[in-house]
Amino acid sequence: MSLILAIDTSFGTSVALIENGQLRAEHNVADTMKHAELIGSAIEDVLAQAFVQPSQLTGVVAGRGPAPFTGLRVGIAAATMFAAGVGIKLYGAVSLDAIALAALKSSPATPVKPLLVTADARRKEVYWALYSGVTEHGVPIRVDGPGVMKPDELDDYLVNRNVHPQQTSEPITAANLGLLVEAQLAEGSETTDVTALYLRSADAVEPKARIGKPVSG
Amino acid sequence: MTDLKLLPAEESHIEQMMALEHECFARDAWTEESMRFEVLADHTRYFVLLEGNTVRGYAGLSKLPATHQADVQTIAVAPSERGKGLGRKLMEKLLTEAKNQHATEVFLEVRADNPVAQNLYAALGFEHIDTRKRYYQPDDVDAWIMRARLDEGDKLEPVVLGIESSCDETGIGIVRGNTLLANVISSSMDQHARFGGVVPEIAARAHLEALQPTLIQALHDAKLSMQDIDAIAVTNGPGLAGALMVGVGAAKALAVASGKPIYAVNHLVGHVGVDVLEGELELPTIALLVSGGHTSLLLVKDLLDDVTLLGETIDDAAGEAFDKVARLLGLSYPGGPSIDNAASGGDPKAIRFPRGLTLPKDMEKHRYDFSFSGLKTAVARWVEVAESKGEAFSVADVAASFREAVADVLTSKAVAACNEHGIKRLLLGGGVVANARLRELAAERCAAIGIELRIPELKLCTDNGAMIAALGAQLVMAGRTPSSLDFGVDSTLSVETVQTK
Repeated sequence: MSLILAIDTSFGTSVALIENGQLRAEHNVADTMKHAELIGSAIEDVLAQAFVQPSQLTGVVAGRGPAPFTGLRVGIAAATMFAAGVGIKLYGAVSLDAIALAALKSSPATPVKPLLVTADARRKEVYWALYSGVTEHGVPIRVDGPGVMKPDELDDYLVNRNVHPQQTSEPITAANLGLLVEAQLAEGSETTDVTALYLRSADAVEPKARIGKPVSG
Repeated sequence: MTDLKLLPAEESHIEQMMALEHECFARDAWTEESMRFEVLADHTRYFVLLEGNTVRGYAGLSKLPATHQADVQTIAVAPSERGKGLGRKLMEKLLTEAKNQHATEVFLEVRADNPVAQNLYAALGFEHIDTRKRYYQPDDVDAWIMRARLDEGDKLEPVVLGIESSCDETGIGIVRGNTLLANVISSSMDQHARFGGVVPEIAARAHLEALQPTLIQALHDAKLSMQDIDAIAVTNGPGLAGALMVGVGAAKALAVASGKPIYAVNHLVGHVGVDVLEGELELPTIALLVSGGHTSLLLVKDLLDDVTLLGETIDDAAGEAFDKVARLLGLSYPGGPSIDNAASGGDPKAIRFPRGLTLPKDMEKHRYDFSFSGLKTAVARWVEVAESKGEAFSVADVAASFREAVADVLTSKAVAACNEHGIKRLLLGGGVVANARLRELAAERCAAIGIELRIPELKLCTDNGAMIAALGAQLVMAGRTPSSLDFGVDSTLSVETVQTK
């Protein structure tokens, strides 16, 4: 018996309710600027659609990205506090793995013809990960990544390793994130780690102490 | 009475409570072990009457969750303070607390040979219902059992949980009405030290990591669970946008998870509202809020409906100026305490640094505004000139003179605002209040012209969740409609918007 609330803000605001492998309700907004505004109503709407009380849930899953900073945190913060507020389990999952889960259902990958999943990382870079297929329980097998690179760097990286992957245009959805965690729970590979995957350090430059140097004219 | 505070007892009060225990109950005092157990137990609520940091009295109530009966465990008032109504104040607090915990009856035992106490309890609605023979030993005195019935219809004080994440402190506080129950702060200050100032992205990352442990600690300190929370309050501005979003996302999820209303409140007004936790917030007041992110002068006529911004910094915040000057003097971050240290023994009059926006031509347009950017540059140039001449100079003098310039301009404009608006009260808030010279100069100047100066306890002055909870509780008690779930963050939110609907 499993009833999971899934939250992913690595792209837009996506919230879903998954019960025993079935999608019960979802709420997706593609806007990438309004996560803080949308997150509360999105969760409320999904619960209302399915007539589910928070106390009936068995777990919450947060999409860990990778994603550009600001929006990603809203979803992880919301998932963390929702789980703490109700007193239920909190799980984390790599958002790119959820895209892979959906893509690999329609076109299976092999170690020879793996699946490349990419997502916009802004600053002319992409997040990426490579999958060789799925486990017995349908969990994507990630063989490389997640990483962040410029697209041509990524091309070179793959060519140099003689990897010629198939690609996917599946969007990231909380529904797939929830299905992913259910599959992970079935095989015991789930994680409670919800650390945000930024894959970049915070932009900050250490200043030098200025005593003993000219200051300005 | 004016300086006495009635607050929930903390572990740090136990030593003083024990001293009082021995003074009041010489022959049958509790052991420190049992006192500690009592104060820290989940089913008890202890309160202390504090004069400054001195415990003048205490009282405790026990209420088991499954019952509707509460018991007065003890009540003690320092012998030197008796006859001033302190016992009544403590007992009233216990009765309120019993109601908050949904008790319908409160019981107590009192010595049969203590008519003064019996009369006080009778006046508060207790009646003598039974007698326990020879209960008090070794004195061999009977105990009266007294009982008060509580009205179930009484309105309860709301329990509000507040979340603050506008800068580098993750704060979660819990209040019941005007009583502080928990105030947990997790600061990312150390992570900013090597950058010499708050780095927004680092602050936002730290909020995300700190949220859950801070929530757990706050509930633990308040001896509550999420079911006991009546409403959630959260800062939605002003502040760092990325940092604010973490708190807002968290608060909204917590509100939906617990099915409780949410109130989006103004950070700066929270700094004013926090004073309700330390007694009556007397209005109108001028409020001077000084931190690493803000330097604002407010006129507060009504906490919820009438807050006006008189002036603010047009460039750096005062706290930022401390950080920058500390850096150029080779002192550590944060600059406030390190400049305070360096300034001790220095001559504040050694160098006359400029007071920003105090010249007549500036005063026309910027009467209550501040500017610290020019001051910072003036200090930098002064140091540069001294060094280029190869002159040795005293860092203590530079630090003391800089600090004096900041404290002077802050307090002179604040006091002028009091005078010109005919207001006899000045409230200080924000982390820079930790600066000893600022407090000293404010006290001096206020006393000189008869202005009452209020400075909340330091941990309520720096950014914290308790102030957000306190302002939220004021909104709840005033019957205000909760915010919708769709509000956003506003990094430049005006002080006039106390609550974002």
